[in-house]
Amino acid sequence: MEDDLPTEYDVIVVGTGMTESIVAAAASRIGKKVLHLDSNEYYGGLWASFNFDGLQKWMEECRQPNKPSETVDASKAKEGEKLVKAGNQFSTVSNLEEKWYILEEVADSPEGQLSSKITQTEGEEHPASKAAVGPGEGAASSLGGESEKLEKEGNCEKPDSDEAKDNSVLNQRENWSQNKLKKEYRKFNLDLAPKLLFARGSLVELLISSNIARYAEFRSVTRVLTWINGRLEPVPCSRADVFSTQNVSVPEKRMLMKLLSSCLENEDANKEFEGFEDKTFVEYLKSKKLTSNLMHYVLYAIAMATENTLCMDGVNRTQRFLNSLGRYGNTPFLWPMYGSGEIPQCFCRLCAVFGGLYHLKRAADAIIIDANGEKCIGIMSGQQHLETANLVMGVGYAPPDFVKTAPSGGLSRGIFVTDRSILPSDKESLTLLQFPPLDGAREPVTVIEVGHTTNACPKGLYVVHMTCKQQTTAHEDLKAVVEHLLHVEFSDGTVARIDTDIKSTQTAHQEGSSAENPEGADASGERPAALKPQVLWSLFFNCPETSQCDFSADVPSNVFLCSGPDLDLDFEFSVKQAKEIFTKMYPESEFLPRAPDPEEIVLEGEEGSGEGAEQKEGEEQGDAQEGPKEAQSEE
Amino acid sequence: MEDYKFLFKVVLVGNAGVGKTCLVRRFTQGLFPPGQGATIGVDFMIKTVEIDNEKVKLQIWDTAGQERFRSITQSYYRSAHALILVYDISCQPTFDCLPDWLREIEEYASNKVLRVLVGNKIDREDREIPTHVGEDFAQRHSMYYLETSAKEAENVEKLFMEIAAELMEQARSKELPRYENNSPTINGRTTVIGDSNCCSRMS
Repeated sequence: MEDDLPTEYDVIVVGTGMTESIVAAAASRIGKKVLHLDSNEYYGGLWASFNFDGLQKWMEECRQPNKPSETVDASKAKEGEKLVKAGNQFSTVSNLEEKWYILEEVADSPEGQLSSKITQTEGEEHPASKAAVGPGEGAASSLGGESEKLEKEGNCEKPDSDEAKDNSVLNQRENWSQNKLKKEYRKFNLDLAPKLLFARGSLVELLISSNIARYAEFRSVTRVLTWINGRLEPVPCSRADVFSTQNVSVPEKRMLMKLLSSCLENEDANKEFEGFEDKTFVEYLKSKKLTSNLMHYVLYAIAMATENTLCMDGVNRTQRFLNSLGRYGNTPFLWPMYGSGEIPQCFCRLCAVFGGLYHLKRAADAIIIDANGEKCIGIMSGQQHLETANLVMGVGYAPPDFVKTAPSGGLSRGIFVTDRSILPSDKESLTLLQFPPLDGAREPVTVIEVGHTTNACPKGLYVVHMTCKQQTTAHEDLKAVVEHLLHVEFSDGTVARIDTDIKSTQTAHQEGSSAENPEGADASGERPAALKPQVLWSLFFNCPETSQCDFSADVPSNVFLCSGPDLDLDFEFSVKQAKEIFTKMYPESEFLPRAPDPEEIVLEGEEGSGEGAEQKEGEEQGDAQEGPKEAQSEE
Repeated sequence: MEDYKFLFKVVLVGNAGVGKTCLVRRFTQGLFPPGQGATIGVDFMIKTVEIDNEKVKLQIWDTAGQERFRSITQSYYRSAHALILVYDISCQPTFDCLPDWLREIEEYASNKVLRVLVGNKIDREDREIPTHVGEDFAQRHSMYYLETSAKEAENVEKLFMEIAAELMEQARSKELPRYENNSPTINGRTTVIGDSNCCSRMS
């Protein structure tokens, strides 16, 4: 049978989540025999990214009531073995809510009309007059005019690109129907667990040092926003930003630079933070007499902390942010192309390249334990009895007995497909927004907005991800932030928008026209409010958060459990956990040493491999560097 | 200083045992059969060829065995310029699986990827799939078609050279920028990534 697997391994890994995949790669890399299984037909488990169709299938699976648990066929166990059934509560997704905000189908003709209207509007000089246009057909042109105006304002310095920009804006106003969106399903990559990478975070360093970076592509996050005084504002994060921002006065700039510098200087740390060891970060910031604007920037956007964060913790978080600046882009963050779900797969690929055996749609039905219950012998998978020296499993696959003492927490997630950015700009932006806790009571919400250049969605659309700690249900937890940022009324694509948002639109017009010079408006810190993005589709769900659990308590000594997605922005927790698990299994071995480049392996290669070591991955620009030539000279 | 003008990613798929690795090794190293164990740790092979006096670097990716249980990572397909779908002309089941492979390709590869169907092992006496059947299938799915023997080095060079020539043609006639809108591939990448500090620069 094709499905027969070899029966003995050094490590069996069950589940293809982030930690599991890193451990699998690390074990395979040092020559261990690895079997990596996942009962799903896709990689990543709760870390996966799906296209639109795949996400629908995933939801269907989630909605199905738990299958009646099959009893484990004890006769398969050999003498002196116990079988423990796999699977537990930590694999469960709850409070799933999907909703459409657009028509199932839009007739062809209105779409044509719409675009001709917009074209007309384009030529007009004073879009402000369009506020007078009533609901109905005119509404659409008004939208076009409005956005055009905003675009122009945002772009005063670079008139050259006006034309291209206007085009892209017009494209954004495409009329989407459910069917049209579904037809484009392949162009979506929607993350269950969206993650950013700190440019000098442990995952980026690991990807580089292990040479796994060659399997992935990234984009820089282009801006960090915050929510302050009831609106969105860019946070100046680089030195250049600080100097060029118009939201911060000159004395404030000096203050900010000074504060950031003192957070970075370790030697003076003791003196600087003396007396604040037991106090909160806010108290420290207050002692620095920061203005409330600056406090907000540093506390919520840079340290991504809360009012309860302790001082040194806040300082560490600030350092983490600052240390990652200036490596790849304007912000400290990277976003994986095609979504976060690519990252575990990169580790799986490395595992496979070094001989790891992969089988999706293959479950570990039961864990085989020795008679004393102290050691795991292997797993039962289908009809096969597979033995292993070590078993690594995603927490969701573990038998309930293995996670008796694990506390349960959860994540609240929201995914939104929208028709424009939460804060339109001249180029497509990749945005991080830490939405501060409102009214002191709620949890901060991490908002990530990605566009089509990351392959998250078709051109003209955006995907907004929201994540926070679960309090009640995802929908409830995220409600306030959703209402602040997005337009979540149903829209038939022609009328609804101007009706419901008329107030904010009018305000925008007034502000725009009262300040003849948009630059002046900027300087005073006032910018016309843009229309909030229309949500086309949304999904809420809750999933377990298990990073706080101590998994070692109830498991046999050679079984290692891996957490699911955590609340943190980056993958750092998984990297740390994977390293710990690997070190327990193989204390003497190096964790993911650099994998050789293909040029270094070529058997008959007549050139030294030293040169190959310097060669960057082929995936970059064709003019990057001179590459080795052995393949060529062979002929 | 430039070592090559174009760089293309070519990926191979198809059932286990149809000779994907052999095709790659034959082309890049002139070897058959490929040395045992050499596969371990090998991700992709690189060969620079010359077409119309231009150097074209081909980066040829193999499946790392993940095809055995139909568990190829999606990321394997990302940003491929050309995709070679291989079956064994002496083994009907490998041909019968082609629709499954096509479905996977549709799902994860760019829809503009250059697709080539290859019937390998024409040195074998026990052919089960006649040439015209393979050709028909290729035509129906708008793929190029070629029969090869990695063992006898038949059509192997031709296969990769034609892919390189076709991709270069596309790149020159600016047909490739179409990728920019979908999945950024090398040509798209040069501009797109340069602009946005993509971390292909990592390392």
